[in-house]
Amino acid sequence: MPHTLDRRRLLATAALGGVVGATGLGSLAPDAAFAAGPATVEPGAPDPNFVEGRISKISGHLLLVTGSDTVLHSIRITDGTSIWKLHPTTFDQVAIGDGLYARGVRLPDGTLAADSVWVNIVNLHAHIAAVGRNLLHLDHKGQRIVAHVVPGRSAAVYNGTPAISDLSLLRVGRHVQVLGAWHPDTNEIDIATVYAAA
Amino acid sequence: MIEMIAALQPLVVGAVLIWSARVKLLNRHAATVARRSALVRLVGEHRTLPAYRLLGAVELILGALLLLPPALRLETAAATAVAVGFLGYLAYARRTAPTSSCGCLSSRPTPISGRSLGRAALLVAAAGLATLAPGDWPAALTDRPLAGGAALLAEAAAVVALSPELDAAWLLPLRRLRARLTNPLRGGTGLPLLATVQQVQLSDPYRRVAPLLRSDVREHWDDGEWRFVGHAAHYQGRPATAVFAVPLVDGGPDAVRVAVVDDATGQTLLALAGAGQPAGPRLDVVPA
Repeated sequence: MPHTLDRRRLLATAALGGVVGATGLGSLAPDAAFAAGPATVEPGAPDPNFVEGRISKISGHLLLVTGSDTVLHSIRITDGTSIWKLHPTTFDQVAIGDGLYARGVRLPDGTLAADSVWVNIVNLHAHIAAVGRNLLHLDHKGQRIVAHVVPGRSAAVYNGTPAISDLSLLRVGRHVQVLGAWHPDTNEIDIATVYAAA
Repeated sequence: MIEMIAALQPLVVGAVLIWSARVKLLNRHAATVARRSALVRLVGEHRTLPAYRLLGAVELILGALLLLPPALRLETAAATAVAVGFLGYLAYARRTAPTSSCGCLSSRPTPISGRSLGRAALLVAAAGLATLAPGDWPAALTDRPLAGGAALLAEAAAVVALSPELDAAWLLPLRRLRARLTNPLRGGTGLPLLATVQQVQLSDPYRRVAPLLRSDVREHWDDGEWRFVGHAAHYQGRPATAVFAVPLVDGGPDAVRVAVVDDATGQTLLALAGAGQPAGPRLDVVPA
């Protein structure tokens, strides 16, 4: 914990103090682009740097993932990997049976060194069938989905305006798009963001 | 009592059949409704619409015969057969084409649910009862107008309650009213992380360092007036952390700052404050 605090203090100081005016350095955009290294994208081909599936085994920092096409993938979680599970979280929150999307770089042995992992992420277009206390009942193509509002985490975007925490403008019967985290093997999700018209 | 209820059943069944026929014969979207139904699997793509229309015509004739007294046993027996056939069709459709629409009482796409099956079963029971104990509905209604009216009303309410197509007319307004009275989603406070991330992504510093970023948000924390958002980054082959600082109150994208810090040495590799002027060519428009 002291290590985390020290690191955060260092990062905060770097971001806030000693700011070099952008105009003073000139345009940094080309510099940044060259620093990033070349992109390796093959148009039309499946992205080799993306994996989806469900976790069947966790050994150390290696995840064994079965894709929905039954292909097995191994994913290495590094110190630089971002892990999302309803919110940015840590590796110990990842469990066997979770679904995931991962993006990263293929190592020579075929392992994906993950840059970002999104655990149990779902993206639904649905209608609100009913609302309860911190609960939305969604009608998704005739299937009922129970979406939990997580206080302090769930956010709403109305008409494309900046996100707010107030979900009380959602109306029964309206269409919504919901980004959330699935509870594996249930019809329940936790809401990360709900997009709606108000 | 049971004779009176039985005598009223042709009225109920006839009304439901005519309502159902109206959707199949007069609705502008009948072709679309038919294509979404399980009839496609049953009779084939190109025969779907004629079959759907034919079904509507049968329903209309049968419904009219049932409504016009006297209700002959032949008519109610035919209605029972139609209702049983319909129940069987719904059960088949639910098993073989679960995503198909009912196409029953409305053009609204409605998956076949337990309620649709319940409604079909109710019709079977009503038509069966009328066949077992035939009667004359105008006479029954004039004999006991109050009890008869109540029975009709209860049955109509049951049909409506078992029709998912009609939810938008009564159930959703009721739920909307309850939500308005109890406001169950109240209480969300605080600035969500997404609002900060949106602000970051609109900012000039983000646009400049975006090619360096490798990961989604890895960590975030609040400290005093600021919220910090950290991403993994690569800077000239070195693993680094890009940390954005966003004011918690009253700051547009212009107020966002960023630093790229070397993970190994802790050295600041790059630091930018939101520039008022975006990089690149710019056209200043002066109001006349």
